[in-house]
Amino acid sequence: MKATGLNQDLLRAAVEEFPADEFSAARSSAVAKLAGVGFPTVGDEDWKYTNLGLAAEISNGWLKTIIANHGAIAEQSNSEQVAMICQEIDAHWIIIQNGIIASDSLAELDGQAGSGISLSKLEFADKDDADDDAMSLFNVALLRDGLRITARANATTDKPIGILLADSPSSAVTQTRIVIDVGDNAHLRVVEYNLSVDPGRQFTNSVVQANLASGATVDHVRIQNRADDHVGVNKVTVNLDRDASYNHNSFDLGGALTRNDVITKIAGKGAAVNLNGLYLATGTQHIDNHTSILHLVGPSTSEEEYRGILAGSSQCVFNGKVIVSPGADGTDSRQSNHNLLLSDRAEIDTKPELEIYADDVKCAHGATVGQLDETALFYLRTRGLGMDEARKMITRAFAAGTLSTLAVTECQDHLAKVLDQRLDNLIGDGQ
Amino acid sequence: MLEVKNLKASIVGKEILSGLNLSVAAGEVHAIMGPNGSGKSTLAQVIAGQTDYEVTDGSVEFLGKDLLELETEERAREGIFLGFQYPVEIPGVNNAYLLKAAVNAKRKHHGLSEIDAFEFLKLAREKMAMLGMDQSFLNRGVNEGFSGGEKKRNEILQMAMLEPLLAILDETDSGLDIDALKAVANGVNSLRDPERAIVLVTHYQRLLDYIEPDYVHVLSGGRIVRSGDKSLALELEERGYEWVREAANA
Repeated sequence: MKATGLNQDLLRAAVEEFPADEFSAARSSAVAKLAGVGFPTVGDEDWKYTNLGLAAEISNGWLKTIIANHGAIAEQSNSEQVAMICQEIDAHWIIIQNGIIASDSLAELDGQAGSGISLSKLEFADKDDADDDAMSLFNVALLRDGLRITARANATTDKPIGILLADSPSSAVTQTRIVIDVGDNAHLRVVEYNLSVDPGRQFTNSVVQANLASGATVDHVRIQNRADDHVGVNKVTVNLDRDASYNHNSFDLGGALTRNDVITKIAGKGAAVNLNGLYLATGTQHIDNHTSILHLVGPSTSEEEYRGILAGSSQCVFNGKVIVSPGADGTDSRQSNHNLLLSDRAEIDTKPELEIYADDVKCAHGATVGQLDETALFYLRTRGLGMDEARKMITRAFAAGTLSTLAVTECQDHLAKVLDQRLDNLIGDGQ
Repeated sequence: MLEVKNLKASIVGKEILSGLNLSVAAGEVHAIMGPNGSGKSTLAQVIAGQTDYEVTDGSVEFLGKDLLELETEERAREGIFLGFQYPVEIPGVNNAYLLKAAVNAKRKHHGLSEIDAFEFLKLAREKMAMLGMDQSFLNRGVNEGFSGGEKKRNEILQMAMLEPLLAILDETDSGLDIDALKAVANGVNSLRDPERAIVLVTHYQRLLDYIEPDYVHVLSGGRIVRSGDKSLALELEERGYEWVREAANA
């Protein structure tokens, strides 16, 4: 099957239908930049395993709808799931529905989320638009709203800030854009929840940019629990100044196709990046995690552990790039990727990429791919546990390893619950 | 309680057990001794239900039931416990969690209600004190990073919690220093009961100084070639296994 590409004529025509707003100029500029580029294809090394053909197909259909409706997009209502999540995870919640911030949630929260924390609609500035890769440009090309979180120097929050991306196919393509600026020694905790409130084909494309000033800390938990036929592309870019820390936990549970890029740049001495991820896939799910840690200066540290559990005919990708720039001496970097395959039809492509241009560095990496240990299963069964229970116990223990590093503990109970439900599905599908 | 008749079993086409007969009644302690490769561990594994071995002939009855028809977990719930020669490390699976799940799986099988957390902890602490185990073991991963002695104590703890009718302890004495050996033997002796049978699989006589068997069997070439009382073990210790092998071949 030949992959469909993004139809640039449709894109241009659709964007012209959008009512004029503060993003008009940025949209036009992004459309122009995207013209010569288009969506990445499997011919691009970074997209070797992830085919965006379906994303392009959904996009082209959606662009036609926008043109037919002269830019009008149906609003979407709240759902029970949203209410449940907001109740189960204690946070200051902001609801973003199909890329549009529910205005009441922002008005309620601004000034309430902690002293020195402000939440506002994004005013698009050129400095935020530094990325000109295709998916970032596509994000801007159809952008209708955005969120800015600013933490002044020394600011802290009593509860995490929750950002709930509640998307539904009433808008078949959704762009979300979040910019986070964290001042000197401020500490911001964020839960980003990616949810499909209705089933159906949908493509969401999100961009998160975080800038951490000297001594700032950001804890960022990202939970993706999308519907079965959802296509998601998510990009997180983080810049760290001196002694800043970025702690990231990502949990990918749902979706038909998910691609995550986490790109961190350490630009100040003493900064630390911790990336942790868990992906659970079954059926024909495809989950691709690309991470990049750039040590521009040293001493600095990065620690990364991603774990995957794969059942059915799922396919997952882990690509972890660590770059130690010339002069970044004193870099200490550890990376690992462990995978548990519950089915012999599941596939994992795991690739660490280390580029080291400095002398005095410590870098370690490792990847494992294994099945459930038969001896361990037998051992548990001799203790009276049934086969399914034994499989579940070992699988759950494997997944639980990623919860021990959870940066925002308010999510713990909810995560334990949804992980358990998902693992039940995987184990049922495993054999 | 346990009737093994003419049991033959092989692994990847190689016969390990070649017509083994063994009868164990409630209240008895049997020791099965024999040189390396004689089939001691295979016997233990086959009774527990390890499917790597293929049973090619014979029968195994437990309390009148055809054991070979039952799944491993069903055998366990019926009251068979295998103490492993090499207890398996299961990282991330909490020791207390496994113990509780195991106790409840058995209770459920026998139509009993699940044990509550308070009752469970009380029982576990009692048994651990008897075995000289620190309570922190409850919150560690199953055998994760345990020393050899700790692993064997953990096996006996599981046995004490599960209160099996038939306990088969495979080389429980191997790799133990004298204190650990005494603690383990103490744990096993405390479980001696007119309702319960214990089968000790061991290479050395040393364990039998602490757990006195009613019967001693010598396994060689996949069959029991001699049976006797505890004096047989002493004789083996003195004369080695060679004379048994020769006697069997004669």
